[in-house]
Amino acid sequence: MPSWSDFQPFIVSGLALGGIYALSGVGLVVLYRATGVLNLAFGAVGAMGAFIAWSIIQAGAPGWVGWIACILFAGVVTLGYGLVFGPALAGRGPLVQAVSTLGLALVLFGVIDLVWSTSAGQSRSITFPTDNGGFMVGQVQVNWTSVIALAAGVVITAGTHAFLRYSKLGTAMRAMANDREITATFGVPVRRVEASAWFGCGLLSGIAGILLADLAALDDTTLVFTVVISSLAAALIAQLRSIWVTFAAAIVIGLVHDLLTPISSLTNYTDMTPFVLAAIALLVMSRGQVLTRSREEG
Amino acid sequence: MNRSVNWRTRIAAAAAAALSLGVLAACSSSSSSTGASTATSTASSTASSTASSTASGSTVSTSSCGTKPGVAATGTPINIGAIDTKQSGTDFSDIENMTGAYFACVNANGGINGHPIKFFPLTEQTNPSQIASLAKQLVTSDHVVGIAGSSSIIECSVDAAYWKSEGIFMLGAGIDPECWSTPNSASVNMGPRYSSDGAVQYVLNQGATKIAFDQSNVPGTTYIADGPNALAKAKGVSITDYTENVPITSADSIAIKLVDAAGSSGAVVLNFTPPEALLILQAAQKLNLEDRVKYWACSTPCNTDFLATSLGAKWNNKLYVNAELTPLDGNTSPTAELYYAILKQYGSDVSGGVGSFSEMGFVQGEIMTHALESITGSYTIASVSAALKGVTNFNTGLTCQAFTYGNYSEHIPNNMDYTVTPDNGKFVEAANGGGCTLIPDTDPQIAAYRAIAGTAPSVNPPMS
Repeated sequence: MPSWSDFQPFIVSGLALGGIYALSGVGLVVLYRATGVLNLAFGAVGAMGAFIAWSIIQAGAPGWVGWIACILFAGVVTLGYGLVFGPALAGRGPLVQAVSTLGLALVLFGVIDLVWSTSAGQSRSITFPTDNGGFMVGQVQVNWTSVIALAAGVVITAGTHAFLRYSKLGTAMRAMANDREITATFGVPVRRVEASAWFGCGLLSGIAGILLADLAALDDTTLVFTVVISSLAAALIAQLRSIWVTFAAAIVIGLVHDLLTPISSLTNYTDMTPFVLAAIALLVMSRGQVLTRSREEG
Repeated sequence: MNRSVNWRTRIAAAAAAALSLGVLAACSSSSSSTGASTATSTASSTASSTASSTASGSTVSTSSCGTKPGVAATGTPINIGAIDTKQSGTDFSDIENMTGAYFACVNANGGINGHPIKFFPLTEQTNPSQIASLAKQLVTSDHVVGIAGSSSIIECSVDAAYWKSEGIFMLGAGIDPECWSTPNSASVNMGPRYSSDGAVQYVLNQGATKIAFDQSNVPGTTYIADGPNALAKAKGVSITDYTENVPITSADSIAIKLVDAAGSSGAVVLNFTPPEALLILQAAQKLNLEDRVKYWACSTPCNTDFLATSLGAKWNNKLYVNAELTPLDGNTSPTAELYYAILKQYGSDVSGGVGSFSEMGFVQGEIMTHALESITGSYTIASVSAALKGVTNFNTGLTCQAFTYGNYSEHIPNNMDYTVTPDNGKFVEAANGGGCTLIPDTDPQIAAYRAIAGTAPSVNPPMS
């Protein structure tokens, strides 16, 4: 068993990984709370935006042009999907809605594979000027990009929480997620509110996509599936309700994942962390529900 | 009513758009069936069109690839096939495309005694039944008489028995163990095990006192790790093996783990594809860990200028990469000149351009052409296989050793390597023993091969 000092560097890397999961997890919960749709295309949209950013940067444009293009692309595509499919799917069950976004993810995944195919073992990467600067914690350098990602997670979580709770549009989104028809009868412009939610979710996926391309990898499989599925575990632990719990769960998942790495008997199983933690959380939560129901029946 | 019609129209339009995108996406993953015929026709059309341009005298630098410069081959074609992996994240088709480019050059300059080579480059998606049927297709439908240009993750293990039953002796750039351990397969490259041997040997020779060896968690890792472990054990150096699930999600924690395991006087040795290796190396750089160990080393896949460029100057003389083929940067040998010329004139399908993959394709084209030119009678599976087995001490110009196929129970014809290190965006031969070095026979597989085949002479001088 490694000593405490052996674990210390993994706390730093675990926090960075948790920050990555938090960015995606919070984005998933935001849209779900606003529209009732679990957007499984969150990663794919951000991934395609990141690949577009890479192409723009490779063409000689400044980095910031690529980053903005990534965020705008993600916002516009998600908005487009929401405008076309959102209303039609509004009356369908959550499973149908989620699976339909998976369709978008697979289409985008195919397009990425077609346009940005890998060859000769080469790969692409996006780097930020903040990658090589930072501060030391023990023997490990914490780079500014990781700090920015973690800070972005906190700011987005707090901002979204405040927006949904205190703004008129946020209140309308929450009401609509509860009952779209009743909300419409109160004169809320349902289409416009939904469009705002989709666009906001898209912008978040763009921000997450460009940061993940640097912090994780500019790789379609990683961005479309691996990271988002892990983030989904954090969202499930929060029962797709609490943004703060999602954030905290994502951080815990990242920490546990990396703290298991130096333990040789567990190091090959660290990728199971999000799923094991989500399964435990769901079992514990469902146990509470069963007990409550038993009491009600008794 | 209007609302309903609008919805239908909108949904139909969206569905049509999605379907169109879906069809586009599907095109990218259905390359095995369509890719075969397209690549074939591309190869032949390239050959004929280039032949005429060569005949007109517009190109002279590629004329040395054939016996009759500028004269297009018009005889009965000699059918040669190849099967390469081409799927999301893993694309080896540059290898067969470069072999095809070499054949196109041969065809434009006299062919094989007047016969053009008709090339059938197929692609697969690591599906065993698909690979088996592609092999049968090549033999029964395309009537190939030889295999060259192949590079697949599992093709050797899937088709070894079939090639043996058909009497075909194939030439490839191997990946799975059967490419080096079966009688009917010989590879121009060293593959993951012997390439990792080369990387470990270099850091051992530099005095590394401890090694952390890490590779992708894929089938065959134990077989690969056995080589480096044998080398380290023979030197009395401690080695720890790791495997990682890919794609890697937390490169930071892996980099920390490896550095901790190797220690300040040790070495981290990686055996990954370039994207995954780059993730770990970049993570080490971001965490300021690169100087926490004495050496970093990598098997051949890391040997791409793209990786050297991405890493930057911090890794100059810090990272050492095994090179199975001659480094190309600054190489002005006649073979390298021909390689560049063929790539430029015939290699439009070689999307990765200059690099190890296209070098492997080039060398296979060279060897198969050399074998075919030695045949005096008809071109059949038997005559081509016999000619290939007869290739002895052939100077490829792009490998340390002369190439010998031979009639052996196993084939490791390339078992002498270079070591390169980044130098401001390029890979150059490493100082202190980076030139041609035999993989030691402390690896029992190498010892077994040398017992039956001996050690081929080094015919290519180390680059200056």
